[in-house]
Amino acid sequence: MAMILEVVHPGGTRTLHRLGEHPLTIGRGLSNDLILDDPYADARHARIELDESGAPVIEDLGSVNGLIARDARLPGRVALQPGAEIRVGRTLLRFRDADEPIPPALVDTIAPPAHGPSARSASRSRRPRWARRVVRWGRTPTGRLLTAAAAASAVALYSWLGSAERSSASSALFAALGFALIIALWGGIWAVASRVTVQRFHFVGHLGVASLVTLQGLAWGIGIEWVSFFLPDAGLSDFLSIAIGLLLLSTLVAGHLSLASGLSRQRQWRAGFIVAGTALLIGGLATLVEEESFSDVPTFSGVVKPVAGEWVPTATVEEFGGVMAALKKQVDEMARQ
Amino acid sequence: MPFPRTLILAASLVFTGDLVAQQRGVTTSEVFSRYADRVVKIQVVETGSAAKATIGSGFFVSGSGHLVTNYHVISKLIHDPDRYRAELIDVAGAVQPVAVLGVDVVHDLAVLGSEVRPASYFSLGPVGIAQGHRLYSLGHPEDLGLSIVEGTYNGHLQHTRHPRIHFTGSLNPGMSGGPTITQEGRVIGINVATAGNQLSFLVPVDRAAGLLGRVLGPADDPAARTLAEVGRQLRDHQDAYLRDMFAGETKTVELGPYRLITEPAPFFRCWADATRRQELPYEKVRHHCSTDDQLFIAGDQSTGVVDLDHEMISTRKLNRAQFFSLYTSVFAVDNTPGGEEEHVTSWRCGTRNVRNASLPMRAVLCLRRYRKLGELYDGVLKVAVLGRGDSGLVSTLTLSGVTFENVDRLARRYLERISWR
Repeated sequence: MAMILEVVHPGGTRTLHRLGEHPLTIGRGLSNDLILDDPYADARHARIELDESGAPVIEDLGSVNGLIARDARLPGRVALQPGAEIRVGRTLLRFRDADEPIPPALVDTIAPPAHGPSARSASRSRRPRWARRVVRWGRTPTGRLLTAAAAASAVALYSWLGSAERSSASSALFAALGFALIIALWGGIWAVASRVTVQRFHFVGHLGVASLVTLQGLAWGIGIEWVSFFLPDAGLSDFLSIAIGLLLLSTLVAGHLSLASGLSRQRQWRAGFIVAGTALLIGGLATLVEEESFSDVPTFSGVVKPVAGEWVPTATVEEFGGVMAALKKQVDEMARQ
Repeated sequence: MPFPRTLILAASLVFTGDLVAQQRGVTTSEVFSRYADRVVKIQVVETGSAAKATIGSGFFVSGSGHLVTNYHVISKLIHDPDRYRAELIDVAGAVQPVAVLGVDVVHDLAVLGSEVRPASYFSLGPVGIAQGHRLYSLGHPEDLGLSIVEGTYNGHLQHTRHPRIHFTGSLNPGMSGGPTITQEGRVIGINVATAGNQLSFLVPVDRAAGLLGRVLGPADDPAARTLAEVGRQLRDHQDAYLRDMFAGETKTVELGPYRLITEPAPFFRCWADATRRQELPYEKVRHHCSTDDQLFIAGDQSTGVVDLDHEMISTRKLNRAQFFSLYTSVFAVDNTPGGEEEHVTSWRCGTRNVRNASLPMRAVLCLRRYRKLGELYDGVLKVAVLGRGDSGLVSTLTLSGVTFENVDRLARRYLERISWR
């Protein structure tokens, strides 16, 4: 009877291995046949082999935490049956019969690409080499720390350019320090969460994710201001704010989950979009309620930008009359209600 | 403008008045004893709770029980006749119901009718007196009982669209609607407002005589005491002086590189000031013109004000990005009038970049409508001139209690008249 070993890693990911005639060594050490990324496993923790009768057995190689089944430590050598579950550190070993029936394949609703490789690998291959290098470098600890430093500098610059006080340099410094403090706290919370879920802190990684999203947020925020300056009537800035808000928030969540969970990339993004969508929905509902409720404080787009007069697209005074007429309709409707 | 509540100040001033009265002794007490029975307390009571909502004063002007008071004393009754009732309390403490027979919201007057047949009353007619003439004001300050206040006549105010007598004497909340009379019992005006420090204001008696004449005349109409009539009076009033505003030749003022409208009519008052401080890397120059004629509607809601505000900012120390961030914050400041949900809708604003014959600018118009006064709106036009890197101008035109036609007409004229120097 051939047996299959299902390994459930600490992050929740699963791998399947066919047990053969040769012994299989298990442990954290890199010389093992099955290498566990689990700090509670010994370098050489256990071995699976066939006994004289050809039945598989598992043997504890003198590990610190031993082999655990049903919350009890097993004696040195134990015979394995299909359905057995044994814990090695925080990793679960589940033994299954190779003839176990499996459900039929699901029908894929996503259209396959025209030629062989998957869409993602195709898009990845389209990315130029320098971009791939930048992405790879961005994921190194140095890259992530530099991203955090760049975000703090950007916050300082943004604060300095937005300040009309004499002591603008000191207020910029305070803004950068404040940002550093908040982002360290944020990264710290995620790092603790990672320690619980995947047994790794990844503090610098979380710092990098949050910093990258902050940088993008600043850039998009400035972009939206310019859009609302040039096209105050299009409602485009509102649409952009929502779309970019959704994208940034889901990037943030997916980025953190990539370090703090064993979820597949697709699931990370799905979780990100669900969180961002829920947050935006709540925000949108709150805005609607606020718009419905009475206020004697008006809201309007008061952004002015340093642009030469001839570059600004303008309406005539006559056309502005049309804006006033539209407002009259709105307030007449409100008064009727 | 209803009385602001300045109780501590009011108490000390009343004390001074008593000293003066003691010096002149007999005369003031004679005036009081002779005319006290013609003055009553007016109170508006919420029908459900029987609680007093507002109190003021009033006085008999006919043997048939007609009284004069201020519109703002009984405005709640006009706005919500099912919820409130009004009554008078005479000098003996007897309570009688009163009904509103006519209102003049522009001059803040109302004529009431009652079943009382007073033994004596004030006749309303023209009185000629000189500046400095001694006057006596009667009323119920702070609901403390009928009081008499001595003061002097100081002529009519110069810069108001509606006539107001300047009375130097301590008027206090609750005296609204009471008469200010001469020693001989001739009514000079009706107590209406105070700015504190014995600076008080009266509605000239001829306006009350006019309203009483209309109420007693053959053309009296029950519709003349409704909210629709209040709206009609406000519309006629604003149309009379806004129709031609900013048209033709108008005075201008130059602020830095900008030329702007100023003092569009003689009843506007204009001020200017500048902020130049060592610790600020920019300068501000402000020019502001406004009418003083707030018309009371109800609660904290007033209308009738036209207000122009020009604020120029310039810098030699800030870079462009910093300067425009300052410019944006100055432009985004909210200086619209407040309001209550009962009376007005929320604001709705529209923004465009607009170019007139001279220059490009960012223009925002915010509009709201009065809920119960027919076709009346508040409009605020805010403009930020574009195109310069070291100076900017934020100009605001505020129109309250006007028709949409006037908002539209005046906003367009205002936009056309902002120009480079």
